[in-house]
Amino acid sequence: MLLKGKVWKYGDDINTDVIFPGKYTYTITDPEEMAKHSLEDLDPAFASGVSRGDVIVAGKNFGCGSSREQAATCLKYAGVGAVVAKSFSRIFFRNAINAGLPLIQSADAPDRIKPNEVVTIDFEKGELTCEEGVFTFRPLPEEVMGILQSGGLIPYTRKLLETE
Amino acid sequence: MGNTVVEKIISLHCQEEVVPGKVVWVDIGLRTARDFGGANVVENFRRNYNEDKVADAAKTFFTFDCVAPANNIPYANNQQICRDFAYQQGIKVFDVDQGIGSHILIDKGLCLPGCIAVGTDSHLNLLGALGALGQGMGDVDIAFAFKTGKTWFEVPETIKVVVKGKLSPPVSAKDLTLAVLKRLGSKGALGKAIEFYGEAIDSLSLDGRITLASMVTEMGGIVGFITPNKEVLDYCRARAGKEDIEAITADPDAHYCQTIDIDIFGLKPQISLPYHPSKVVDVDEVEGERVNSIFLGSCTNGRWEDFKVVASILKGKRVYEGVMFKAVPSTREVYGRLLKEGLSEVLFDAGVILTSSGCGGCASGQVGMTGEGEVQLGTGNRNFKGKQGAGKTFLVSPATAAVSALYGRITSPDKV
Repeated sequence: MLLKGKVWKYGDDINTDVIFPGKYTYTITDPEEMAKHSLEDLDPAFASGVSRGDVIVAGKNFGCGSSREQAATCLKYAGVGAVVAKSFSRIFFRNAINAGLPLIQSADAPDRIKPNEVVTIDFEKGELTCEEGVFTFRPLPEEVMGILQSGGLIPYTRKLLETE
Repeated sequence: MGNTVVEKIISLHCQEEVVPGKVVWVDIGLRTARDFGGANVVENFRRNYNEDKVADAAKTFFTFDCVAPANNIPYANNQQICRDFAYQQGIKVFDVDQGIGSHILIDKGLCLPGCIAVGTDSHLNLLGALGALGQGMGDVDIAFAFKTGKTWFEVPETIKVVVKGKLSPPVSAKDLTLAVLKRLGSKGALGKAIEFYGEAIDSLSLDGRITLASMVTEMGGIVGFITPNKEVLDYCRARAGKEDIEAITADPDAHYCQTIDIDIFGLKPQISLPYHPSKVVDVDEVEGERVNSIFLGSCTNGRWEDFKVVASILKGKRVYEGVMFKAVPSTREVYGRLLKEGLSEVLFDAGVILTSSGCGGCASGQVGMTGEGEVQLGTGNRNFKGKQGAGKTFLVSPATAAVSALYGRITSPDKV
C-alpha cells in the first residue's frame, strides 16, 4: 500500500469534538455529509480543500475525548489517506482502523514534516518520505493491515464470511 | 519470560502466544448491548449483515439499565428495537426490571474468571473484579462481535499497582479506589491493563472489588484485574453451578511496564470534586458544604454491602430536612434482598426514595437529574459537567453519602 498526499498539519490533543463537532453527532448520519464538517472548528478551510489521499500530521494524543465513531468516519469520507501523529487515543485508534483509516505513529516525523508539502508513505515497508528525508515507523500489524486493505471492519468481515 | 493476566486471557482466546503490542483475533465468550448503544448495534447489524443470524444467540445478551424503565420516547424506542431484534434472533433480554448489565453477568454466573466479555458499556471492564476481561466498545465493534463472535484486540502492556496497608471502617473500598485514582490520574493507565495486589486488595469483598475495578476506566485503563480469592471463586462456582472454575494468575516473572506502590496507612475518607473524577481530596477539605441531594447506586456502589452500610447509618434516624436522597439498587437481586431483609423499611423511615434497579442517577436515568446550583453527593464513578444534570456532583463512598445526608452538609464519616 503506497500513498502520496498533501499534508494538513496540526498540533497536540486534537480531540474528537474538533474533528467532528458534538452538535452534529445525532443530527448528521450520512457519512458524505459528515465529511463536510470534518475539522470545522479547528480549520474551516479543511473540508472544502482536502483532496483524496491527503495526509493529516499532528502531535500527541490525536483523537482524545469521546468515543464517537464519527470522528474517524468523517475523516475517512473526507478522503484522508492517513493520519500521522506522535500518539493516538486508544478508542480513536480502534475506530479509525474499523473505519478503514490508516494511522501511523511516529515520534519524530511530525516535527519535521512541513505544512502543505507532499509526502509519500509506504505502509508495508514502514517508510515515510518528506522533504527532510525518510522516516521509518513500525508497520501496522498484519491483522490491522488486513482490515485496512479491505476498507474497514465491515468489508473485511464480509470477505471473511464469504471465504468461510 | 512469563505472562501477565491480560496476556494469558487473550492468549487463551486466540490460541497463540502474545506479547504487548501484538494485534490478535480473539473469541469472545459474552457479547452484550444495553439500551444505550443497543439500537445502534441493531441498526449496524441489519445494515451490514442483512437478516443473518448472530454467531451464537446463547452467548449474546441485551441488558437494559441506563433508563429503566424508559421515561422518554427515544429510550423507549431504542429498547423496543432491541426487544424485536432479540425476539427474531432468539437472544435473551435482561429487561428494565433486572438491573445493571455488568452486575447481571456476574450474579447470573455468566461471566467467570478468565472470560472475555464485550458490550456497549464503558464500565464493562469492572469484570476485572472477577479476573475477567470486560471491554466497552463502539456500535460497529459490537455489531461485528454479535455477527462473528470475535474481535481484534491489541495486547496491552500491564501496570502493577501494589496497595499497602489495611482498610478500617468507615474508610471503604471506594475511598481506596479514589486514592488510587488520585495517584494515577485520568491518564495514568492510558491504554494499559492494571493488576492490583497487596494486603488491602486481598481483603476486599467481591462488592469492594467491583468498586475498585469499575473506576479503572476513570484512570484511562483498559481493565484492572484483581486475583480472585476463595470467596470470589466460591461465589462464581455457586452462581454458575460449576466446580471447575479457577483463577488465572500472572506468572512470577511476568513483565510489567511500571510498578506503582501506594500506601493507604492513615487514609481518610476521600471525595472527588466536580467535574473530574480524578480531582480527589480528603472529605475534611470540603467539609461543611451544603448538600441538596444524595444518589446512592451505580455499577460502582449499588450493591448489597453498600446499602447495608447506608442502612446501618440511617437506622432510626431521618435524612436532614430538605435533602433529597435517591437510592437505586444495582440489580433486582439487591432490590429484593432489601425488601425481604427489612432494609427497605429502614431506608423508607429515614426518608429515602428507593426505586427499582438500574444505573439510576449516574447517567441521568429514571430517578431524575440535578438542577442548576444543586449540590449532589453521588456514589457513582463520573461527575463530568452535565452528566447528572445542571448541578455539581461530588463522588463519595456510601458511608460519606449517608452521614452527609443526616447533617445536610458534606461530613466525614470518621467524625461521628
